[in-house]
Amino acid sequence: MKAMIKVLLVLVALGGAVFALAGTANAADVKVQIVAPKEAVVGRPVDIQATLHLAGDSSALAGVPVTLYTEASFGDVTGDIELAKAMTDANGVAVLSYEPRSAGDHQIRVEYLAPGASAPEVATASISVAGSTQQLYRSTAGVQIPGLNVWLLMAVLAGVWAILLSIALRVIAIARAGADVGALLPRGASRQMGGDDASQLDTTRKGVTHK
Amino acid sequence: MEALARHSSEPRAGRSFDAGEEPSSDPQERLIRTALAPVTGTSLAYYLWVAFLLMVIAWGAYAYSRQLRDGLVVTGMRDRISWGLYITTFVFFIGISHAGTLISAILRVSQARWRTPVTRMAEFITAVALICGAMFVIIDMGRPDRVQNIILYGRWQSPIVWDVLAITTYLTASIAYLFLPMIPDLALFRDRLRGRAPAWRTRLYDLLSVRWQGTNSQWRSMGAAITTAMILIIPIAVSVHTVVSWIFAMTLREPWNSTIFGAFFVAGAIFSGIAMLIIVMAILRKVYHLEEYITEKHFLYLGYLMAALALIMMYGNVSEYATTGYKMSGETQFHFRQLFLEQFAGFYWFYFVGGLVVPGLLVLLPWTRNIWGVVVAAVLVVAAMWVERYFIVVAGFRVPLMPYKPSVYAPSWVEISVVAAGFALFALLITLFVKIFPIIAVWEVAEDLENAEITLAAERLAPDPAGGGR
Repeated sequence: MKAMIKVLLVLVALGGAVFALAGTANAADVKVQIVAPKEAVVGRPVDIQATLHLAGDSSALAGVPVTLYTEASFGDVTGDIELAKAMTDANGVAVLSYEPRSAGDHQIRVEYLAPGASAPEVATASISVAGSTQQLYRSTAGVQIPGLNVWLLMAVLAGVWAILLSIALRVIAIARAGADVGALLPRGASRQMGGDDASQLDTTRKGVTHK
Repeated sequence: MEALARHSSEPRAGRSFDAGEEPSSDPQERLIRTALAPVTGTSLAYYLWVAFLLMVIAWGAYAYSRQLRDGLVVTGMRDRISWGLYITTFVFFIGISHAGTLISAILRVSQARWRTPVTRMAEFITAVALICGAMFVIIDMGRPDRVQNIILYGRWQSPIVWDVLAITTYLTASIAYLFLPMIPDLALFRDRLRGRAPAWRTRLYDLLSVRWQGTNSQWRSMGAAITTAMILIIPIAVSVHTVVSWIFAMTLREPWNSTIFGAFFVAGAIFSGIAMLIIVMAILRKVYHLEEYITEKHFLYLGYLMAALALIMMYGNVSEYATTGYKMSGETQFHFRQLFLEQFAGFYWFYFVGGLVVPGLLVLLPWTRNIWGVVVAAVLVVAAMWVERYFIVVAGFRVPLMPYKPSVYAPSWVEISVVAAGFALFALLITLFVKIFPIIAVWEVAEDLENAEITLAAERLAPDPAGGGR
C-alpha cells in the first residue's frame, strides 16, 4: 500500500512539473511569418515584415527585438552583417528596412529572442535583387559656407602663380638691362669683371659708381 | 659687393684656384676662391663617392623595374596596409624641403645676417628634397602612367589634388628662390671660369646669369624679386606640409583624427629640415674647407632652433595623445597599445627619446654644445623623423576598420632598394649641385664682410665713451 502511495506521489509530482514547464513560452511555441518582397532592386529600400505569434492561442508577441542579418564576404572575411533591427508592435509585427547593395539571390535571416527563451531563434527567407553594379554612395549636404568653395581655391592658386609670373618678369627685366649694358661693352668684357668701359657704370647694390 | 666687383675684375691670367695654392690674405679674394674651389678641383674621393651613389641608384632602378613589370605585389603593401616605405619617405622628403624655406626666407625676412653662408645650401636641399619627394608619390602609384589621371579626372575637393597643386607650386617657387640670389654669383662664375671650364659649363653660366652686369637697375630688379619670393614662399611652404598632413587627417582612420595634424606636420618638417641642413653643412664644411664661413656659431644657432622645435614637437605629442587618449575609443585603445607597448613601441620611444629628448639635451647641455654635439643631435633627429613618418603611416593603417585580424606590414627588398636609391639620388643631386653651382652666397657673404669692416672702422673712429678717444 505504502509503495502504491509513493508511486502516486511521484506521478503527481512529475505531472505538476510537466504542467509547470508547459506554461512557459519557448521557441517552439512561437510562430514566425516573414513577409518579404520576392524581388527588389539594388539601391531601393524594401520593408521586410516579421510577425511573431504564440503557437497556442495565436496571440501576438509584442516588444520582442528582431534582428535582420545576411551573410557577406569582404576581403577574406566571411560573416553575418546586421542589416536592421526593430521591435515587434502590439500586433507582433516588426518592420525591418533594408537597402540591397548588390544584385543576386540573397538569403536573409531573422533572429528573435522569444520570451523566456535563453537563445535566439532563427527564421530565414530569400529575396531576389535585380540591378547592376552602381555607385550607391550619396554624399550628405554638409554645411555650405558662402564663398568657401573650389573657386576660392582657384583664386588663391591663380594669385600665387600670378606673383610667380611677376618674378619671372623681373628676371626678364634683369636680362634686358644686362643686354643694354652689354651693347656698350667690348665683346667678351663684362660689367661684373669691371673692365675699363664697365668702370664707368654703377657696380654695386648701393649704387656706388667707380670712375 | 663693391669689393667683390673689384676683386673679380683683377686680371686672371695664370691664376689658379686649385688646391695647394697659397691662400690669399685678402678676405674677399679668399671668399671667391673658396666658392670656386669645389667647381675647379675634383678629387679621387669625389669620383668614388659619385660611383657609389650611382651603384645604389642603379640597384634601385632595377628593383623599380621589377615593380613596373610585376606590379605592387612585389612590395609589402596590401589592401589593408596600402601605404608603406614609399609614402613614409615622401612625407620625410617634403619635410626636409622646409630647410630652405626656414633658413633662407624666414631669416631673410627677419634680417638675421648670420644666415648668409648657409642659405645656398638650405635652398639646394629644398629643391632636391622636393624632387625626390615628389618622385616617391609616383613610385607608390605603381603605374606611373596614371599620373595623368590626377589632371584628367582629379576632383578639386580632394586633398590629393591639393597636394599635387601645393607641391608643384612650392617646387616652382623654391627653384625661383634658389635661382634669384644666385644670379650675381653665376655671373661671377661666368667671368672667372671663362676659358678655364668646359664649354658646356661656360654656356650654362652664360645662360643662367641672365646677362648680369651688376647695374643698379639689375640690383633693383633682383632685390624686388627676392623680396617678393621670400614673402610668398613662406605661406606656400606652410601650406605644402599642411596639405600633406590633410591627406592623413581627412581620411577616416582613428589614429589620424587630429585637429593639430597640420601644425604638427609643419613643425616636424621644419625640425627635420634644420637637422638635415646641419648634416649637409657639416659634410660640405669638412669636404670643401668652409671653416672660415661656416663657423661653430652657425651650428649652435641652428642647434638652438632645433632644440626649440624639439620642445614644440614634444608639446604636439602630449597635446595630441592626451586628448584622444582621454576619450579612449576602442580604436584609440588598439592604436595606443601598438604604438606605446607593442609592435611600434620601439619606433615610438626611439623617436621620442632619441629624436626629441636626447638632441635637445645635446644642444642645451654645455658639455656637448659644440659642432659635434649639434651634428650628432641632427643625425638623431633626421633618423627619428623618418621613423615618426613610418609609424604615422603604417600604424595608422594597421588599426582595423572592421573586425578582422590586424595586418602585418613588412617592406620587401624592392621597397628597401628603391628607398635607398631615393636617398642616394638626394645625396647625388646635392653633390652635383655643389660641383656646378656656387656653394655659398658669395655676394651676400661679401656684403657681410664689408659691413663688418665698416663697423670695425666706425668703432675705431668712434670717441671713447670715457672721453679718452682711441
